[in-house]
Amino acid sequence: MSKYSVIGQRVRRVDGPDKVTGSAKYTFDMVLPNMLYGKILRSPYPHAKILNIDTSKAEKLIGVKAVVTGKDTLGRKQGIWRRFPELCDEEILCREKVRYIGDPVAAVAAIDEDTAEEALDLIEVEYEPLPAVFDPLEAIKEDAPQIHDGVELNMNVTRHIEWGDVDEAFKKCDYVREDKFKCSSQAHVCMETHDAVASFDHGGKLTVWTSTQSSYYIQRLLADILDLREGDIRVIKPPTGGGFGSKFELDSAQFCAVVLSMKLRQPVKIVLSREEEFTATKRRTPMYYYLRLGAKKDGTLLAKEVRVITEGGAYTAMGATALYLTGFFSSFPYKYPNYRYDGYRVYTNTAPSSAMRGFGAPQSTFTGESQLDMLAHDLGIDPIEIRRKNGMTPDYEVPGQAFIQSCGLHECLDSIDEYIKKRGELPPNHGIGVAAYGFMSGGIFNWFDTPYAFSAALVRVNIDGKVDLFTGACDIGQGSDTTLSMICAEELGVRLEDIRIHASDTDICPADLGAWGSRETLMNGNAVKMAAADAKSQILEYAAAKMGANIVYDLDIKDQWVHLVDRPERGVSYFDMVKEAIRGRDGEVIIGRGHYTPHRKGMISPAYSFGVQAVEVEVDPETGKYGLTNVTTAHESGTVINPVGIEGQLEGAIMMAGGYGFCEDQPMDGGNILNPSIADYKLIRSLDMPETEILEIDTYEPEGPFGAKEAGEGLTNPTAGAIGNAVYDAVGVRVTDLPITPEKVFRALRDKEKQSKQS
Amino acid sequence: MLRDFEYLAPKTLEEALTLLDEHQDECKVIAGGQSLLILMRQGLLAPEYLIDIKGVSELNYIESDAREGLKIGAVTTHRAIEKSPAMKNGFGVLAEMEHRLASIQTRNWGTIGGNISHGDPAGDPAPVLIALNATLTTAGLGGTRNMAVEDFSLNFFETALEPSELLTEIQVPVAPPHTGTAYTKFNIIESDVATVGVAVSITLDSGDGVCRDARIVLGACGATPIRAKQAEEVLRGKKITDKRLKEAGQEASHEAEPISDISASEEYRRELVKVLVARVGKEALARARQA
Amino acid sequence: MRKELRLVVNGQPYELYVKPKTLLVEVLRDHLGLTGTKRGCNSASCGACTVMLNGMAVKSCSILALQADGGEVLTVEGLASGGELHPLQEAFLDHGALQCGFCTAGMLMSAKAMLDENPEPTKKQIKEGIHGNICRCTGYNSIIRAVTAVVNGEYKEKK
Repeated sequence: MSKYSVIGQRVRRVDGPDKVTGSAKYTFDMVLPNMLYGKILRSPYPHAKILNIDTSKAEKLIGVKAVVTGKDTLGRKQGIWRRFPELCDEEILCREKVRYIGDPVAAVAAIDEDTAEEALDLIEVEYEPLPAVFDPLEAIKEDAPQIHDGVELNMNVTRHIEWGDVDEAFKKCDYVREDKFKCSSQAHVCMETHDAVASFDHGGKLTVWTSTQSSYYIQRLLADILDLREGDIRVIKPPTGGGFGSKFELDSAQFCAVVLSMKLRQPVKIVLSREEEFTATKRRTPMYYYLRLGAKKDGTLLAKEVRVITEGGAYTAMGATALYLTGFFSSFPYKYPNYRYDGYRVYTNTAPSSAMRGFGAPQSTFTGESQLDMLAHDLGIDPIEIRRKNGMTPDYEVPGQAFIQSCGLHECLDSIDEYIKKRGELPPNHGIGVAAYGFMSGGIFNWFDTPYAFSAALVRVNIDGKVDLFTGACDIGQGSDTTLSMICAEELGVRLEDIRIHASDTDICPADLGAWGSRETLMNGNAVKMAAADAKSQILEYAAAKMGANIVYDLDIKDQWVHLVDRPERGVSYFDMVKEAIRGRDGEVIIGRGHYTPHRKGMISPAYSFGVQAVEVEVDPETGKYGLTNVTTAHESGTVINPVGIEGQLEGAIMMAGGYGFCEDQPMDGGNILNPSIADYKLIRSLDMPETEILEIDTYEPEGPFGAKEAGEGLTNPTAGAIGNAVYDAVGVRVTDLPITPEKVFRALRDKEKQSKQS
Repeated sequence: MLRDFEYLAPKTLEEALTLLDEHQDECKVIAGGQSLLILMRQGLLAPEYLIDIKGVSELNYIESDAREGLKIGAVTTHRAIEKSPAMKNGFGVLAEMEHRLASIQTRNWGTIGGNISHGDPAGDPAPVLIALNATLTTAGLGGTRNMAVEDFSLNFFETALEPSELLTEIQVPVAPPHTGTAYTKFNIIESDVATVGVAVSITLDSGDGVCRDARIVLGACGATPIRAKQAEEVLRGKKITDKRLKEAGQEASHEAEPISDISASEEYRRELVKVLVARVGKEALARARQA
Repeated sequence: MRKELRLVVNGQPYELYVKPKTLLVEVLRDHLGLTGTKRGCNSASCGACTVMLNGMAVKSCSILALQADGGEVLTVEGLASGGELHPLQEAFLDHGALQCGFCTAGMLMSAKAMLDENPEPTKKQIKEGIHGNICRCTGYNSIIRAVTAVVNGEYKEKK
């Protein structure tokens, strides 16, 4: 018998009925009276000066209402690392220089999309092409073209993490391995591309409907870049077709639609094409990885040294965070007595690399878990054993960095160990590879406005008992609307159907930093829980007086029943109680307020979720082609609030992370992405998807609402590493640069054959 | 974006040919449009007239005859071929090939004639039809022409179709006794376009005998489907063994003219040809033995 | 020059006047306001625009509206009837077979078309049925479970 009445239940998502009937209106579907359609002109050069832009012909085209360029803006640079002006380096509409193929230079608003597109061809831009550089290893050289003024060696950001003394420690190791890896980029491929409808009215108020992960960030960034009052900007997130890290920065669809609307005082809609989505939005950060790992011969890890150079692309974006997190998570999930990380983010003339689900951790997990397996193999130690020996445990402190409270890693290892043993002997050319991970539940460090991250929520109880939940949290598909409604219902003591959620409208919802870094359940969940508790206490205050309960008896509400905790049969219906409580206050509704900021948990995260994944592959050694036959994951994410949601996160993560390991890539030539279409960008589809199994491990995270912590991103970490280890287990070759394509496996097999023939 | 065009929807072949003749260079023919519309939407093609032959029902048929073999109208959909009972009796390879072509949605609307006329060297139907020794008919106002499917493809996306001609029918002859045909394509994602495609047809001179004839066709390995004739010579007139199949694969990999692109390098494509010719050949051999 | 187009959409007959270059998806979304069907790509690869035309699943972004003249179209809006959801819709809701929901309309139509043709598909056939539809959120397995539940008769339509 569950002690909870709402959380932990398998429920239908609250926005489900709208979505399955086609009645959910996405930004993509929006049509407003008098609305115009916008298109963006983008640079064909990876690096060039803009000498002149002549928009006169375009303006004369019938149906065109306005053409804007950087000259129509305040010329301000913005960036998501808002508290660090030197990292706010993106104008969006470029004025003097373009820095990657796809950098916007002009935008058109017209009566329909076709006219807008035709107008783009009529805009004449005079460029002076400049030498360009695409590889970060080239861009850091003395003679490389300088991409941003004043930034020597194109060194955008550096990060350093250290504890202990690695140099000394390596001397004491019985065995040291050095390895290099290359981690590729990846496209988010949200089914709904970036889009926005902007409406600037004659009263000077701006409303923006947009597909976003953070209406709060967009509101603030627009205020900065336009010099409008934040309060005069309303950002609304309609149902949104995916984010995965691509939609919490200010993007060209939003900005250009706003600039055009401000000029015309008419609504303007811009929807990026799929090609623009591939070439001109942010992407996963490609990284060159160098790892040195030292251990005792019994497998105890003593030291790890990590050096990473990332391909930053043309602007900082969230790349600084990816740089930091990849270094931080390179130490996960093991206890390293000595650790050193140096990360370098280098500007290049390519599309900016930024945040994508996992945020640097899929890269660190691929490289770390691959190398750990290699070390284990060299020492003759079982891959699970070496992880057991070094794995993090509850209440562990990453020296000087972070405090981990709940941690179910060892239980996950046991669970996977059991699974592998039960699987028994594998058919020929099959292999199983394992990867372990730990991931954060939201970041504490806030680079946007305040030093710490925060969330707030409001709960309003109406006279009929219906509860309005106001939160800035953004449901981008991951189900935060449902999860937060469940938390609210559980805390308040009502049913899920009693909650009506209003989310991510900056006019009416309290601030929330948005859906990224896997923070909504823990951070916003805590705020919602507090708000619901506040509302409940006000109802109970009235109930105590009304029911004449003795002060020693506690009151509670559960499943719409206000009752004495120790005598649950003595109670009153929640609906009756609410009605009377509100009538007793002259109709004033009951409002509960909640907020959350993590305290005393270091600067990284208030809580971490852990897991271990086993991937089974079947390799065709003659061609190198392999299939993912099974992915079994043991994971723990504290108390499970929304089980259907978590399963969805896990299976979806396998598709995305599996793709990262197996087939997704953005090959480039001269800064040009060569496969900017869904026909050419390989994604896992239904027939390629492996069988998936989830082994839930029970843990409880004191910092999280009802003990819950993250489950959206951590699960994207292990698959690439597990695939690499599985291929090695199957056919004895290791591929160290992603994605692990059949051709690479084939070449590795052939090289191995050549080597064994020679020796 | 799509540019404006005039839309014409003839109901008979005669009408269609007349319109084609009238509009010549200014028009394009659309059947399923699964390839054409993408090119038009990307601005690569902007005809003034579009002649829609999807409604020319006289070109939509599958006829099967014990002696004549299959006759497939050009406007027959991939899905119809995939599901047709006429695909048994030696033509199963056509249904198998269709089953892995693109997606159900594409197959429901796209046509075999449209596919062949498009001349995509990575297309699935052409190598299979060539292995089956198929022929086709084109028609213009002046009359009809017949040719082997093998001779139809001239270059990347270029066929022997004259400007005012339509592909009207594909003929697949009944295979000689003891013939087996098989096809596979290599891709990373299921049903994706072929990185390399291989079709092999083997005819034995008796139930388990010597190879009387072999047809080995490579797709996505050059500007057109390639008959690997030297590879065929390795098998012709001999008893087929695994070793001979391997040799044939080797030979075929030299005859292939693949390019390097984002899907695979030229070298890897040649390696795939080696492996696939041997495998598909083995499957064709097994089918020939059972036939 | 615009041409007449007659379509029956979700059981409702329409008479429209469209430019030849109008795609079927544009007629549905822009002319008839049926925005349930989405568009996710420009290469006819993602399947988000899948509808049923004359009983077959097709990509409405790759069909000229005029080519569908005289035909019958079923979109996601036509699945539920009189406020009662179609079994597939119920199953999708129960099994978490949707997250962001953008691929859902196309996915439902592909699933329906497949079940109409073959009411007892194997798991592999179910996967084949939706292989033309990309979902970036769910990883497909929940969708397969939902369809399987319908196949197993768990959502017998109320008579």
